[in-house]
Amino acid sequence: MTSDKADSDPHSPVLAAVGSALIPGLGQFFVGRWTRGWGILVAVAASAGLVSWYGEQPLWYVVPAIIWIWGVWDASTEVDGAPRPLLIPVIAVLAMFYGIGWQVTKIELSTLTKNIDRASAILGPMIRPDFVGPRQEFQQAFVTIEVPCSANPPPGERSDDGLSLVASAGCGSAGDELVVSGSSFWPGASAELWWEDTIGERQHLLSGGRIVVVEPDAQGTFSSTIIIPQMRSGTGQEANLDQPLPERFLVIQARPLGGWEFTENGMRVLNGIFETLSLALVATTLSLIAAIPLGFLAARNLMDRTQGGMAIYFVVRTVLNFVRSIEPLIIAIVFVVVVGLGPFAGMLAIMVHSVAALAKLYSEVVESVEPGPIEAVQATGASWSEVVRYGVVPQVIPAFTAFTLYRWDINVRSSIIIGFVGGGGIGVWLFQWIILADYRAVGAAFVAIALVVIVLDHASSRLRERII
Amino acid sequence: MLKVEHLTKVYPNGVVALDDVSFTVSEKEFLAIIGLSGSGKSTLLRCINRLVEPTSGKIEWYGKNIVGMNSGELRKIRRQIGMIFQQFNLVKRASVLTNVLSGRLGYVSPRISLPGIWPKEEKERAARALHRMGLDDKAKSRADTLSGGQQQRVGIARALMQEPKLILADEPVASLDPVLAHSILRHLEELNRDEGITIMCSLHFLDLVHRYANRVLALKDGRILFDGPPRDIDHARFKEIYGEEAEDVRATFVDAPSQ
Ligand SMILES: Nc1ncnc2c1ncn2[C@@H]1O[C@H](COP(=O)(O)OP(=O)(O)OP(=O)(O)O)[C@@H](O)[C@H]1O
Ligand SMILES: [Mg+2]
Repeated sequence: MTSDKADSDPHSPVLAAVGSALIPGLGQFFVGRWTRGWGILVAVAASAGLVSWYGEQPLWYVVPAIIWIWGVWDASTEVDGAPRPLLIPVIAVLAMFYGIGWQVTKIELSTLTKNIDRASAILGPMIRPDFVGPRQEFQQAFVTIEVPCSANPPPGERSDDGLSLVASAGCGSAGDELVVSGSSFWPGASAELWWEDTIGERQHLLSGGRIVVVEPDAQGTFSSTIIIPQMRSGTGQEANLDQPLPERFLVIQARPLGGWEFTENGMRVLNGIFETLSLALVATTLSLIAAIPLGFLAARNLMDRTQGGMAIYFVVRTVLNFVRSIEPLIIAIVFVVVVGLGPFAGMLAIMVHSVAALAKLYSEVVESVEPGPIEAVQATGASWSEVVRYGVVPQVIPAFTAFTLYRWDINVRSSIIIGFVGGGGIGVWLFQWIILADYRAVGAAFVAIALVVIVLDHASSRLRERII
Repeated sequence: MLKVEHLTKVYPNGVVALDDVSFTVSEKEFLAIIGLSGSGKSTLLRCINRLVEPTSGKIEWYGKNIVGMNSGELRKIRRQIGMIFQQFNLVKRASVLTNVLSGRLGYVSPRISLPGIWPKEEKERAARALHRMGLDDKAKSRADTLSGGQQQRVGIARALMQEPKLILADEPVASLDPVLAHSILRHLEELNRDEGITIMCSLHFLDLVHRYANRVLALKDGRILFDGPPRDIDHARFKEIYGEEAEDVRATFVDAPSQ
């Protein structure tokens, strides 16, 4: 068609070029290359639009210009032969996408090195996960100190269970020095010094920014100089700063018992992982039950016998595709609102997504079964459900099992993330620890998650190999 | 028993696989269907139990038209017609016994078949069918562990479970070596002779046709080219059926491509 016109009209190259110079693509329209013409017009308009929208650098207007000019050249030459290859405009557009994409994602490589110390502040604790610690027993003692002093201050000494603490004064103001000494503590086991205000809020006593730790001598006595901290400020009690209130100086001593045990956070990690695993297991099992019939209904080779069947097929397919495209995390947010925080919401969210995802996979398995055995079972006079039961089910069981295991694997991972929005499991803790900057606990959670994922991945792939 | 009238099948892609085919089959016949690849043999056999939906025409089974029949009635007809296949079409991962029992699906109620808890009498029937095919010790084996010849015998056992009046066999021996081919066809011959089961069997090898069939139906491009006893296929007929190129091949050993 093109060459016909070229033959019949020798001026068309010039005309085409002029057309393309006026409006991008016009020359191509002129010689009958409609797709190419539209392509050039859209490419010029879209890239110009993109540059004006995002590109802080007007330099990028070069790209639509290049395409425009290329279009003129293309229009003026293609009439007498093969069309020009699209290499130049494609490269121009790609370059623009990269350039603008770089800008939009705010890539700033220098920040990577500039703030490297922040990373080490996080990674440092993370590589010492708060998971297990030496098995310990604890004892503690306190003495009441009045802040600030009233007319009748407490004695400044107290003994309890044989442990006794004596302070150089029974009262004082924030910032005052106190000499405290204790006796009958465990010799040689380090003890932490704390301050506790009237409402039970505790904080470590610090000296030069470091936590004060004392080590009682062979007789179990120690002595230390402390500074009364300002506890009440910032807790909304500024107005009462002058009112004498009983606060406490507190000593907590730990002694190794030999052996190891899970720390408090370690136990949380274990419980969280267990919750995550069972949440994923329940969600997978429940979704399996719903997905199997849906998988058959969404299999074309079983449903195309009748028009009603095809209608069901299309409806099921469409719904499945829609549900499958919603992230479980988003479904979880909805369920958290409906049923409240906790593993139930997470389970429901994962289940809904899994039903759709599994049913889709199942339907593909069903569609790929050998038609021969199905024909053979049909020929015996079997009903639809019998054909499915005897001709299809035996063929799909291995693949169904494999996909289900794989889904469980995926569900464990996504239930971890779902915890972030309150859907239960280890993710809930992980999210809290990240916010509280407790990176040792975060480290413990990471290690546990990694272990579970690796083991599960390995186990499920081994099982899959066995089945198929 | 079977009367086919003006049967035509046009596939959705426009291929006319059967073009106005008419013939009748009487009880106890052993009917061979021959023809080049693509001549419509499989289509014809599959139309009879409506695995392929005929486009037009009539198929009468003891006076009842199968074409246009509702699915409940169709199932009742299907169960009287056994079918065996070139690729055996066993469910590979299921046991031989389950495969054989599935031949009974047209008779038992879904209460039995869907849970798969078969009554003793059906299991005994299956055991008898397997015994007849010489497969007593294979009942528990997975179907795909059997050799080709054994699998085809399972296929026949499955058909036998239907207590069929007619067995449709679509190239039942094309995947087997000549020795096994004879063994399978002898089984069919025996069923034909002893049980009076009518056999409609598509075959590629003319020597087998001569040896086993008492009537031949030759198809070419979806039309019936010849209908008569095997001995009437002379050299001219042979060339007509298989084309001029097949001339140099011995009439008793036509090695037609299977697909
Ligand atoms: N499902 C189908 N859709 C479209 N065309 C088909 C279909 N099945 C068969 N055909 C065509 O119909 C014609 C007859 O095919 P058929 O399988 O009945 O031949 P055949 O004699 O059994 O051949 P063969 O010896 O190769 O098995 C062929 O041209 C084939 O391509
Ligand atoms: Mg065929």
